[in-house]
Amino acid sequence: MGQTRPGSSPTTINSPLSLFLTLRFHRWSLFSSSAPPLLHPPRAPLSRSQTLTLASSSSSSTYKGGNYLTLTDEELVAQCEMDTYKASGPGGQHRNKRESAVRLKHLPTGVVAQAVEDRSQHKNRVSALARLRTLLALKVRNAVDLNGYTPPPELLQILPAKSTIRGSDVGPQIGPNNPKFAMGMQALLDLIYAVEGSVSEAANLLGLSTGALSRLILSDDSLRMAVNELRASKGMRPLK
Amino acid sequence: MLLRLPFTLSSALLSPPLHPHRSKPFSSLSSSPNPNPNPNHSSNTTLPLFLRPLSYSAPVSSLLSFRLWAESLALSSVDDPHLLRELSWLIDDASAHKHPRNDSLVPLRAELHELYELWRERIEKRRPFQYLVGCEHWRDLVLGVREGVLIPRPETEMVVDLVGEVEGFERGWWADLGTGSGALAIGIGRMLREDGRVFATDLSSDAVEVARFNVERYGLKDKVEIRQGSWFEPLQDVKGKLAGIVSNPPYIPTSHLPGLQPEVGLHEPRLALDGGENGMDHLLHLCEGSASALKSGGFFAFETNGDAHSEFLADLMTAKWGKFFHNIKIVLDFAGIKRFVTGYCR
Repeated sequence: MGQTRPGSSPTTINSPLSLFLTLRFHRWSLFSSSAPPLLHPPRAPLSRSQTLTLASSSSSSTYKGGNYLTLTDEELVAQCEMDTYKASGPGGQHRNKRESAVRLKHLPTGVVAQAVEDRSQHKNRVSALARLRTLLALKVRNAVDLNGYTPPPELLQILPAKSTIRGSDVGPQIGPNNPKFAMGMQALLDLIYAVEGSVSEAANLLGLSTGALSRLILSDDSLRMAVNELRASKGMRPLK
Repeated sequence: MLLRLPFTLSSALLSPPLHPHRSKPFSSLSSSPNPNPNPNHSSNTTLPLFLRPLSYSAPVSSLLSFRLWAESLALSSVDDPHLLRELSWLIDDASAHKHPRNDSLVPLRAELHELYELWRERIEKRRPFQYLVGCEHWRDLVLGVREGVLIPRPETEMVVDLVGEVEGFERGWWADLGTGSGALAIGIGRMLREDGRVFATDLSSDAVEVARFNVERYGLKDKVEIRQGSWFEPLQDVKGKLAGIVSNPPYIPTSHLPGLQPEVGLHEPRLALDGGENGMDHLLHLCEGSASALKSGGFFAFETNGDAHSEFLADLMTAKWGKFFHNIKIVLDFAGIKRFVTGYCR
């Protein structure tokens, strides 16, 4: 533009707290303090197997995979790379939108969620983020101490009312369509991994009959598949 | 050159709309058919395709033939998967059922031959898909658009979120300057409480017509008022009373216009793109005018050409115009480009 600017810029990068689903590339400095703030973040995503390895060692480190689901949307998206604008360029008025699909890659874990079905990029961003939460719940495992096990509140919320350990203060049962279901599902999978796929053992710890817990697992396709994948790896029959 | 005038100039100096020949009616559902269909233009209907009545039908096999023809035409020109998605959307908008039975007729909102024509225009003339179907999906809205009106961009979606961050925005009076299809005005208007309002201005009579259509379709006539005129000029009565101003003004440097993607450069209105020699003409005017249009504590958010433009503007408003504005910030878009400048009036 030809104009010269003052040497020290008075501007700051804005970061309003609840700005929904906004990527802030400068946040990559969280992952590498030496990284330049913009556009070319260091990328060292983990493969899926590495993710599981990392998560399984979480009991001995400060890393807690479950924390991802407690992040706000903004905080979670700040950990992601968004691929919508893969073709770089000036954007804005320069281009006709060629792509409404949104692909979110969660850099700490390498988990990828995408949404392509809507014509509005905004709606695809919302869907992709919801999907990312589900995938993180399915793929990131936290260690569970089975001695004196007490289910966390988010897990109690997804249990049917007949559970003997579910207090009346927990409120109505949350189903798979509720956004809070992902956190309960994650805690349930953590437990089922801890008991190495034994539904009867997990059911016992949750104050449920084996049949009741099976029905809960079968009520959600992704949960059922995750449990059956584990059981298959242990040589157990799949739940049907 | 394009004429956009500040508060200080008389409205008598205003130029007439630049594309009067294009102002064909963008009628509501209840109006009579367009009496003057333009034979040079295939879109002789005035409603967005998805809102037209299901007056036609075609056998499933004919629709399938159209799809196969359209796919091969798309693939023969450029290998572009986005085109195939656009084709699916065109068929979605033109028909009522996504999964018709094989033996049935598919109800259609346009004659099959019109779909052939539309798709030919898409491929051979690079006519934007959004003009083909007469709408764009933006945030959770489906906005009518047509030639003469800028197709709202996904980047601009974020401005609505920026407004939602402002304390007490729900009850304020807002201005959307150069509203185009009315996207920002409607996005903001839907978040406002009873006493909140949006005044949306545009110089183009095409834009005013389309914006009014969209405002009406979303039932926001009581909240969003569309006024024709240049920037602040139609807002004299609310000068100094605005809680906020938003704008996505033309910001492309004139010299860059010839190199634009054909969908943009050949089809979208220059009035909505051309930002003058360095792209800053209108942005500078908006910043200057905001000082007197906003009330004390009022908020503004402007979209820019990105990076250097945002930095320049933010520096200017912090340093030279620091006695009018404060808390100037630059906000990144989803691609990490410094796209928006925001701040408050002292």
